[in-house]
Amino acid sequence: MPESVPSSLIIDVFKEIFQAERRGGKRQDPLGWIISVPDTHQKSVLAALDKERSLRVLTCSTEDDANAVAAGLYMTGEPVIVMIQHAGLYASVNTIRGISMDGKVPIFYMIGLLSREKDKDPKDSRHSMVRFAEPLLDVFSIPHARMEGPDDVKLIPEYYRKSRERKGPAAVLVGLETA
Amino acid sequence: MMKPEEILTLVAAARGTAICVPTMTTSPAWRTIAPDDLSVGCVGFMGGASALGLGLALGAPDRRVIVFDGDGSLLMQLGSLATIAGAAPRNFTHLLFKNGVYHTSGSQETPGGQGVDFAAMAKAAGYRSTCTITSLDEFKKRLPGLLSEEGPIMAQLITGLAGSTPMNSPPGTPFHQQVANVKAQVGQKSA
Repeated sequence: MPESVPSSLIIDVFKEIFQAERRGGKRQDPLGWIISVPDTHQKSVLAALDKERSLRVLTCSTEDDANAVAAGLYMTGEPVIVMIQHAGLYASVNTIRGISMDGKVPIFYMIGLLSREKDKDPKDSRHSMVRFAEPLLDVFSIPHARMEGPDDVKLIPEYYRKSRERKGPAAVLVGLETA
Repeated sequence: MMKPEEILTLVAAARGTAICVPTMTTSPAWRTIAPDDLSVGCVGFMGGASALGLGLALGAPDRRVIVFDGDGSLLMQLGSLATIAGAAPRNFTHLLFKNGVYHTSGSQETPGGQGVDFAAMAKAAGYRSTCTITSLDEFKKRLPGLLSEEGPIMAQLITGLAGSTPMNSPPGTPFHQQVANVKAQVGQKSA
């Protein structure tokens, strides 16, 4: 059965990623950027991020904004993670295609599967917004994995690296609401 | 009525080390006026110029970022006004070229046409300063301030149509190459 992942584990991993990106760089403040359109599924992470002085969280009006802001930051050498919900993925498909895919901009996404049933694989969910997220990522050949428990936090740096290596989007889906 | 090309020529002469983000009908003219590696066009994701500029401004606080937005483009991502105001980048200049139509697709009127006041919207969203400019003389006078005063700043520019559109112009540098060029010029500090 899937388990919720504690926010502290996720934030520690974010920091490790950013520290590795910043190593040897002139700019160290902020350590990295979290670009977010608030996701109920990841609200414990967002709440904990409010207390993190080393990370800068920028809340955007839309996921289209979030993608474009992330691309601008990337061009200036800034490390970025985008946190959105599956509905935001659907809302911003053209921007992801135009910016991250055609523009070869590495953007790593944490995507919350709000309303995903604990006892079901997302493909069997009764909610279309849960069912279609992974197939949509497949259509666009966007590498993705699902975080189903604390042991899976290792997927975050793995898929962050994938986005960098392929110069494009990569995503980790958050299976259950974070703790 | 101001011509977009006249405005862009003045900006090119005054921009210094600024990063510029053209979109839609300012793109072909800007490629001719300023063929350089410090510009990245919003191509293929209409509406994203202002948010792209915001990311650049936050990541490169020592440089001015100038967005050449269109009225139809900004309408597609109007919430970016609040995103920008919330982030409050001091080095952000938003030039809104307002011609009241979707020039590229045949000059259909934009929703609300010339009646939409983007400067008022930006001010209400929380931009530090906004203005509307209707003549080239006035633009010349205000340009130094637009490029040096604390942002976010919006100047709504009432213009005629550009001489060309992306649809009747030769293609420019592919977007991914523009991204790579700006990254090479600006983004090496974390490498």
